Amino acid sequence: MQTILVCDDDKQIVEAIDIYLTGEGFQVVKAYDGYEALELLESHSVDLMIVDVMMPGLDGIRTTLKVRETSSIPIIILSAKSEDNDKILGLNIGADDYIAKPFNPLELVARVKSHIRRYTQLGNLTQQTAENVFKCGGLLIHDDNKEVFVDGELIKLTPIEYNILLLLVKNAGKVFSIDEIYEQIWNEEAIGADNTVAVHIRHIREKIEINPREPRYLKVVWGIGYKIEKQ
Amino acid sequence: MKKWTWPVSLMKQTAFLFHLLFLCLFLTGITFIYFNENYGRGLSWVQEEAYSDTMSFTEQLEDDVEMIFKYVKYKDLLDLDGELNYDADMVCVTFLSGRSVIYTLNDMLRYAKTRGYYLTDTFDVAGGPAVPERETDDAARPTIEWKAYDPNEVYREPSDQYSTLEDLSLQVLTLLGEYYQIQYNYIDNPSNLYFRVSYMDEYGQELLYTNAGDRTNDELRSLGRYLYISGDTIVMNTNLKYIPRNITAELETYNLYDNNDYYIILGVDTAYPNTDPYSIAHSEYEKVRVDFITGIILTALGALGFLLTFFALVRLSGHSDSAAPGITRLKFDRVPFECGLALLFVFFWLGDYLTAQYLEPLSHLVVSEARWAYAARLIQTVVRYFIFLGLGFSLLRNYKAGTLWSGSLLYYTFHRFAGLLENCSFPMRLGLCFAGYLFGDGILLSAFLYLYQKREQSVVPYLYLLPGVIFFLFQVWTFLMLFRNEVETEKISQGIEQMSAGDTSYKIDTDGFSGKVGQMAESLNNLNSGLEAALQEKVKSERLKADLITNVSHDIKTPLTSIINYVDLLKREDIQDEKIQRYLEILDQKSQRLKTLTEDLVEASKASSGNLKLELANIDLVEMIYQANGEFEEKFQIRHLELVSDLPDDSVMISADGRRLWRVLENLYNNAFKYAMESSRIYVDVAVREDKGFFTIKNVSAKPLNISPDELTERFVRGDVARTTEGSGLGLSIAKDLTRLQGGSFDVYIDGDLFKAQVGFPVLKERDLGGKDLDDMGGDSLLEG
Repeated sequence: MQTILVCDDDKQIVEAIDIYLTGEGFQVVKAYDGYEALELLESHSVDLMIVDVMMPGLDGIRTTLKVRETSSIPIIILSAKSEDNDKILGLNIGADDYIAKPFNPLELVARVKSHIRRYTQLGNLTQQTAENVFKCGGLLIHDDNKEVFVDGELIKLTPIEYNILLLLVKNAGKVFSIDEIYEQIWNEEAIGADNTVAVHIRHIREKIEINPREPRYLKVVWGIGYKIEKQ
Repeated sequence: MKKWTWPVSLMKQTAFLFHLLFLCLFLTGITFIYFNENYGRGLSWVQEEAYSDTMSFTEQLEDDVEMIFKYVKYKDLLDLDGELNYDADMVCVTFLSGRSVIYTLNDMLRYAKTRGYYLTDTFDVAGGPAVPERETDDAARPTIEWKAYDPNEVYREPSDQYSTLEDLSLQVLTLLGEYYQIQYNYIDNPSNLYFRVSYMDEYGQELLYTNAGDRTNDELRSLGRYLYISGDTIVMNTNLKYIPRNITAELETYNLYDNNDYYIILGVDTAYPNTDPYSIAHSEYEKVRVDFITGIILTALGALGFLLTFFALVRLSGHSDSAAPGITRLKFDRVPFECGLALLFVFFWLGDYLTAQYLEPLSHLVVSEARWAYAARLIQTVVRYFIFLGLGFSLLRNYKAGTLWSGSLLYYTFHRFAGLLENCSFPMRLGLCFAGYLFGDGILLSAFLYLYQKREQSVVPYLYLLPGVIFFLFQVWTFLMLFRNEVETEKISQGIEQMSAGDTSYKIDTDGFSGKVGQMAESLNNLNSGLEAALQEKVKSERLKADLITNVSHDIKTPLTSIINYVDLLKREDIQDEKIQRYLEILDQKSQRLKTLTEDLVEASKASSGNLKLELANIDLVEMIYQANGEFEEKFQIRHLELVSDLPDDSVMISADGRRLWRVLENLYNNAFKYAMESSRIYVDVAVREDKGFFTIKNVSAKPLNISPDELTERFVRGDVARTTEGSGLGLSIAKDLTRLQGGSFDVYIDGDLFKAQVGFPVLKERDLGGKDLDDMGGDSLLEG
């Protein structure tokens, strides 16, 4: 059973998260400021930490920095600040994820699970270094048996979706326009292309992303195309 | 220890004192030179080492040579074994009666005595008859038969043959005087000049005339300066610098014998052991030389000190003891410098007058007449110098204080006139300037014509060209002024254009502007900077508002989180009561709406205040619409909306921030999704018109749109006034602000129930597209979506 440290100065929020995570079978340790969180980290074996940014005493950013000095456990920042700059700051100082308040409890749980899986199964995944295996962060494609795993969980894709994802993962970091994807997948010239590719991409996103509006893997480069973020 | 410094006033006084001292020294030196006998001979004579090398020495020698040959002449006549031969026959005359008489020396002397003549102690003839000679019968003017002392006399006129006895006796007396002089100066008394003249008569007897005693010729040669001339050669043997011009002629004249066996040797003892004209002239010469050199040294020293102290005074001028820095001007210095110049000439005239009237007569008390002219000149120069010094230093102080120009009459007049012009209205100013221009032209042309007509009488050739050239320059100057005015007007015009185009930070460069136009430009700048300040204030307050909204929304979000979470938890409880379930559903909806509202509020305030960082990139509008369509196609199907798109085959490249543009499209699509009539069609198309790419979305509203398009894009306005639907009412406002921020146009049209929104961006030309890398644009952050 994994232990999750939840740290927020708002006791009700901690309580609510506790209820959700306990319901999912996690053990939860609660802290109400940064110092408390650091103490609990030393006394407990914690598998994941959820931390608020705006807290009295040691704030979430500094707490994250402190934790990162000694530990590499997944850290999810939970904050009322939803500006781009805040998110970039949080991710840059070492947090693995950033969730803006008010959050969808289901999404939080999903993300927690995903991070835990990635963190614990990382060893297994790296050992599968066989050919025709493509990996990108928590995204894993076994081309031999046409299987796609996200954080260890098997995802079901249609053949076209699978081909599109494979194309993007193989060329992680490269941006493909709709026409390029069309020509590569359907093997015919894209004349008067329609929304097909965009719709497929949206389906793939809905399947592999926790929050399709804020995708981790399959990103939309607006006005240019799509790409898989290199990780 | 503090270093003691000289007070400035003491320094000034000392410098002035020394200045006077050196001036006196200089003038003394000049006077020394001026009154030296050698004035006007340049400097080369100073190098002539000794008196014996000078011309005056030779002149003295020439005189002496003459005397020597007189001695040669008279000695045979008057001398008899060293004694005066009173019985020597002097002259033979024949009276009218036919009686011939030979007078001896004695006769003649005695006759002279009877007439009252005598010889002075320097052997000059003096005295004379108290009464005129009686014109006695035949004694009056006897005919001269011969003169022993002048045997070869030639009578030029018949009357020359007659002479009174008195004249003859006077001639003899003079001759005796001269003989005595020679005897006294060269033979009886020791002289520095030694001579020996030798002739050989027809009997081979040597005739010697000398004062050298038994000194040999070689001894004479060693005396310092010597001259040896012999009859058998024309070459002179001498160490003299200048040769007496008369010596060879005299030597030959007195050679009464038909041979060349004669010589003369002269020797001057340059040690000058004896007192005679040579020694006196020598010491005189040395004194004059020393005087001249002293004069030169005094002049040079004086001039040097004079200049040094002058520069010291120039440096010190205007400074005073007071600690305050800067230049102290005297009351007198406030006189404009033109007046100063005029005063200078007045004072010069006054000084000259007073000098001539009073100082010069005063100087005559102490200066000998021969030097009056020089004294007058000296005094005039000094007086003028002091006048110049006084006024010159006044000018200098003004120059140092920087008031030379600003204190001048010309400056004053100029500024009064300029001030007058500045206060005039523009037409008045132009009128005055034009009148001035015509006046100047008229004067110059008249002067030119007048002088041209009178060019024959003119002292200065081509004087008439002067007003011509000035006329030409005046035209050029006028043109330049007009040109400058136009340049200034142009600058102001450009400024106004820029300002009216909204560039509130624009400043007209007022460098070189002057007068009314300058004031105008200055006022415009003030106007614009006022506008700029107001604008800045507005931007600042917008930003503050945005910050406030952001902070408040943060504060709202935390409790909202709890509300949402606990509502969700409640929903998970197994609640059978339908009423409670309905209530929970309402709580859930409203809390969700509150969530979107807070998020949209922050975004709207940022978009409207421009408090956003844009990441502009070259993107394809067509691709973008495909992507947006892909995102929304399935969502539209929920409400049975059909998406009909009409997109061009070619890409339409624009410059925009992809994520912000997506937000615009998302809002527009969402708007259509929310307000379109169910089961209707939504039309999207992209078209290029006039270099602009337009995206248009059209739908038929489910409810009547009794509202103006402008109002729709205002914040918190929704098509349905009752606000029954979900949505914050900020969507269109945000879309509009974001589009404008990216440089695009955003328009909403309403035609009945038809709602149409159009977003336009300038299409990039081929040349604008180079250099951008797709990956650069794609990999900007993790947060796209």
